[in-house]
Amino acid sequence: MIKKYPVRVNVNGDDYEVQVDPRKTLLQFLREDLDLTGTKEGCDEGDCGACSVILNNKVVSSCLVLAVEADNAVIETIEGVKTGEELHPVQQAFVDSGAIQCGFCTPGMVVTTKAMLLEMPNPSTREIKEYLAGNLCRCTGYVKILDAVENAKEILNKG
Amino acid sequence: METFDYIKPKSLDDAIDALNRYENAFLLAGGTDLLVGMKYNSKKPDCIIDIKELPRMNTFEFNEGWRFGALTTVRDIEVSDQLKQTMPFLGQAAQALGSIQIRNRATLGGNLCNASPCANFGAMFLAMDATLKILSKDGERQMPLQDFFTGPNQTALKKGEVLTEIIIPEDAGCTEGVFLKHSVGKSNDLGLVAIAITLDREPGTDMCRKIAIAMGAVAPTPMRAKQAEAVLTNNRLTPDLITRAAQEASNEAVPISDFRATADYRKALVKAMVAKGINTLLAAS
Repeated sequence: MIKKYPVRVNVNGDDYEVQVDPRKTLLQFLREDLDLTGTKEGCDEGDCGACSVILNNKVVSSCLVLAVEADNAVIETIEGVKTGEELHPVQQAFVDSGAIQCGFCTPGMVVTTKAMLLEMPNPSTREIKEYLAGNLCRCTGYVKILDAVENAKEILNKG
Repeated sequence: METFDYIKPKSLDDAIDALNRYENAFLLAGGTDLLVGMKYNSKKPDCIIDIKELPRMNTFEFNEGWRFGALTTVRDIEVSDQLKQTMPFLGQAAQALGSIQIRNRATLGGNLCNASPCANFGAMFLAMDATLKILSKDGERQMPLQDFFTGPNQTALKKGEVLTEIIIPEDAGCTEGVFLKHSVGKSNDLGLVAIAITLDREPGTDMCRKIAIAMGAVAPTPMRAKQAEAVLTNNRLTPDLITRAAQEASNEAVPISDFRATADYRKALVKAMVAKGINTLLAAS
């Protein structure tokens, strides 16, 4: 019998009280236990950014966080980015700029972009590239993604 | 992965107690190295002791030298305005470490205790003559970082000991410094070679009073290039002397060949990067 540990966590505004296997990563917990499959597993070792989520206001790789560590945490995943049925400006900018090809990296890109714009509303192109350096995309060559981030920045700064 | 106990201690004493109680307990700070090790079964803990929320260990201050809590995140170093003004090279070492997702979690103590030969803060803090504060049930001891690394992923920490603080002595002479990493990709990849240099010189001149040159990824542990330092100390930093010192540093490096680069290429990089680092400092004045 595997010992489980109590975790209270808020994900996308909803409170959960669960018992988790200590070996379970936050990524596995979100996908398998909460059925929030928008967060993707790419490399599963912190190199690709596909599993990015916002944990207590900071973007992290959820594959390198244990679910037990998230006790008392506030988490936002890609499913929590939209407001009601409206796409978030970052999501809309990705659609409008055609910044999506296969789409696998997109949730991580959007979540990381949202975290960046919360932290610094007006990043330079260089700062954007540095902030997104941990989010790999194998399709686009990044040009349209950077276009989308620039567009999102402008829309959000216009208010 | 075998299962393990998970403990979140309220105090350092409780953490040390758990370290002693289990056969193979691991401290969890940022987890960015530990979890990867567990996934690859190179680390098989019977207990994870989650210390990341222990009080008073995640900040830094100037108090008879700089004191960095072992749980300070790499991102906190990177964005600190205070450090940008006093020791901007620390921010360079931070920014060259992994992605933002990693830097938000990874800690200074974790970077040192994981003891990778290419650990950014291994090289950086070696070049700053750092001293480590280490706590165990028998009390506190201090150890120069120079004596801390004993091999790849191995340190002088004994069972039941916790690294709590990294201290930069007031007289370390780290008025100027630079951190350089060369990697194939521009972003997150591990460095082929890292160079950290701190310099103390007569103000407004190229007269070197003291220089510390540390190298990463060119030996089983981060290391100082003592011969190169000796060439430069108490001399003017002329182009000829810088070239000689850079060659000395390259001679001192004992890198391996692996899939990232050959040993010869790494030695050539050391020579180029040491010269570049010193010239960067000279050009900045």
